[in-house]
Amino acid sequence: MGWFSKTKPMDDPSKPPSRSSRKQCWESRDTFFRCLDGINVVNALDAKHADAIKASCSAQERAFEQDCATSWIKYFKEKRVVDYKREKFLKEMEEKNAQQVDLSGIVRR
Amino acid sequence: MLARARVSKLLISQNLLRIAPIRTLTTSSRILNGQTEQQPKANPDTKRKPLSRIAIGGTKTHSQRTSGESIEFTTWKAAALFVTVGGALYYFFAKEKRRIEIEKEAEANRGYGKPLVGGPFKLIDQDGKEFTEKNLLGKFSIIYFGFTHCPDICPDELDKLSIWIDDLKKRGITLQPIFITCDPARDSPEVVKEYLSEFHPDFIGLTGDYNAVKSACKQYRVYFSTPPSLKPGQDYLVDHSIFFYLMDPEGQFIDALGRQYDEKTGADKIEEHVKAYVPKEQREKRAQKWYSFLFN
Repeated sequence: MGWFSKTKPMDDPSKPPSRSSRKQCWESRDTFFRCLDGINVVNALDAKHADAIKASCSAQERAFEQDCATSWIKYFKEKRVVDYKREKFLKEMEEKNAQQVDLSGIVRR
Repeated sequence: MLARARVSKLLISQNLLRIAPIRTLTTSSRILNGQTEQQPKANPDTKRKPLSRIAIGGTKTHSQRTSGESIEFTTWKAAALFVTVGGALYYFFAKEKRRIEIEKEAEANRGYGKPLVGGPFKLIDQDGKEFTEKNLLGKFSIIYFGFTHCPDICPDELDKLSIWIDDLKKRGITLQPIFITCDPARDSPEVVKEYLSEFHPDFIGLTGDYNAVKSACKQYRVYFSTPPSLKPGQDYLVDHSIFFYLMDPEGQFIDALGRQYDEKTGADKIEEHVKAYVPKEQREKRAQKWYSFLFN
């Protein structure tokens, strides 16, 4: 089909992503992100890292971009930055002996 | 006699307001010392006190000073009045405060008050059949808003919900799981059906035209955004709220469960709500009892 030559199956609006395609995307994502960990890159969207990514992780990036829907690629890259900052913040707070407050009940009242 | 009564009244108010001028104190002390007041013998017109010293309603010759023994009497009367009124007010407010506390507690334990979340909607399920808020009646439902092209959170949450459904079934609680799409442009009934086939078989997937979905989301206070300008075939994400809405068999909202609940705690929470549920007729019966004010 000519349709698929232009777009990835994940981008097909008439079909929901299947469990297996999601799994494959997540695996490619994890592989790519592990590679980024290896070269100390957190924000893959930052242009200053573009060369380093191209040099060390280009194969992983290509697989990630092929396996995941276009909108997901940016989303996962942004999420990686947010998750990293969150973890760093929590670690910092823990070092300062801060206590986590459970606000789960706050939704109701 | 009339003038004296008026003066007494003025003194009460002075005592109550604690703005009694020093003169009152000296008057009291004079009385305590057993001295009797002497009426001013001089011509009142020449030896007039400033106007302010004459009690309202009093005469030039009968100033406050002339009130005599009645001051002693009014002082304890004022004190008694103060204590009585003060005590009564304190009792009233303390009681009222407690009543409101209990009321709030009852409200909180019931878990729902006015139905701010939920309401009428008209969508179609994955088989193209109409599904409205009336289909929520008679069973507990749990509603999740999402979209099939959701990258990671929705499928995780739906998997979690599937575990809750099976877990609760073992505990004898049947839930009607409902997935409502926030992405009507891509999620036709067929797409929703295919998507949900990989999750729990009990799932009911709802979609509709843009306005029907938007209105349903509004009823459930769900924020969602479909990007405004779309090229055909373009891939996009939809921002939306991620809560499970637990609804009772009357179609009323009970609770919103966020992502903090895992496979186990979520099922426990739902079980707690289902067990605490009081059917409407029982609630109404309760409302006729003398302690009904607790549940208002």
